[in-house]
Amino acid sequence: MRKPNFWIAYVLLLIAQLLLSNYFHVTPYIMLSILPVMVLCISIRVGTVGTMAIAFVTGLAVDFLSEGVIGLNALALTPVAFLRNPIIRLVFGNEVFARGEDFSLQRSGFGKLTLAILLAQTVFLAIYIWADGAGLRPFWFNAARFAASLATGLALSMCTLQVLAPDTRK
Amino acid sequence: MHAPAWIAKVVNAAVFILLEIAALSMVTRNSSLQRIWVARGTHAVMGTVWGSTQAIRSYFSLGAANKELAAENFELREELLRAREQLRKVKVDSLDSTYRPGFSLIPAEVVKISKNKQHNYIILNKGYEDGVQEKSGIITRSGVVGIIDAVSAHHSFAFSFQNHDISISARLGEEGGSGLLVWDGISSSGAILKEIPLMYKYEQGDTVYTSGHSLMFPPDIPLGVAGKSRIVNGATNEIAVTLFQDFSAIRYVTVVHNNSFDEIEQFTQ
Repeated sequence: MRKPNFWIAYVLLLIAQLLLSNYFHVTPYIMLSILPVMVLCISIRVGTVGTMAIAFVTGLAVDFLSEGVIGLNALALTPVAFLRNPIIRLVFGNEVFARGEDFSLQRSGFGKLTLAILLAQTVFLAIYIWADGAGLRPFWFNAARFAASLATGLALSMCTLQVLAPDTRK
Repeated sequence: MHAPAWIAKVVNAAVFILLEIAALSMVTRNSSLQRIWVARGTHAVMGTVWGSTQAIRSYFSLGAANKELAAENFELREELLRAREQLRKVKVDSLDSTYRPGFSLIPAEVVKISKNKQHNYIILNKGYEDGVQEKSGIITRSGVVGIIDAVSAHHSFAFSFQNHDISISARLGEEGGSGLLVWDGISSSGAILKEIPLMYKYEQGDTVYTSGHSLMFPPDIPLGVAGKSRIVNGATNEIAVTLFQDFSAIRYVTVVHNNSFDEIEQFTQ
């Protein structure tokens, strides 16, 4: 079960995402986003419908408070919430649901967590870049943007994970 | 109490679709670029769905289309036969050639057909109440199919050409020798043209027609193409023929009856 300060951390990370979206435009090829890992870290006790609602509101908040097309983050983040349980089941197995325990770096291991984040980021970026391009950008541009964003997003997500699902062995 | 798993899945999917539609409508409302993109995608999907629906509808209306085509085909055949007869009459007037009696045509549908016996038969959906008479021929646009043997009120029984008891008078090429065409008894499209005098030369690939010497079939109906030959008893050629008619796909046929059949038969008795 996530700690009570999880939601405070969640809101703070949302503000961090707003800062990233508004002020960190390094290159058009990189879209920095920690939203997928934030949704992935929501407690499994929150059902799929609840997670989708949170993801939708989170996406909308980013859409309204940052530059860009309104609805785009919500459009890309809701599928991550919809697929969160299948991703967790695929990567960590059914035991997580049976025990009712949330995953963490301590319990689940670095490799499995990286894979789970990779899958969540892939879903989010694929939809975001596809919808953002609106069929006008060439495939190679979308592919390069996807690869660069996935790499940077993965690194950023691993840092975010330390905040949302910290390793308690330390 | 927990709801069944499938209900939870349906609810999840429904909420997901609703949220995605809401997000997509916001995206399209706030960006003209995305609006055009979504509209284009929607049109493509609708086009595919409509196209598929149309294809399915067309598939189910094929039966009616087939019937329509068969009726049209029958009318055209009747017209062709009339035209041929008129042409012959012109020849009769000018050259005093042999006069050919007229044929009456009746369209019919195959109710049952046997194919894997040595004595195959066909049952048609037309009988004497429809004008079908015994000793009438059965033809399609691809050749000769059989001969009516017995007639009831609404059905007719016919010997298929794929029957060892049936032979048809056939001619090789436009003006070649005539002989008897019989089923080879082996393949569904194989026949043998017998008793062709050696003096008649032919090439492989020449078309074989009905000769018109039979009282049951009008002349000049293409039957098949000539293949290899062999000399029999040093006197006649026996030629392998590949038939045009596909006996596995017969459905609509035409019954042809020689209007002067009984009159001519009286002379031969």
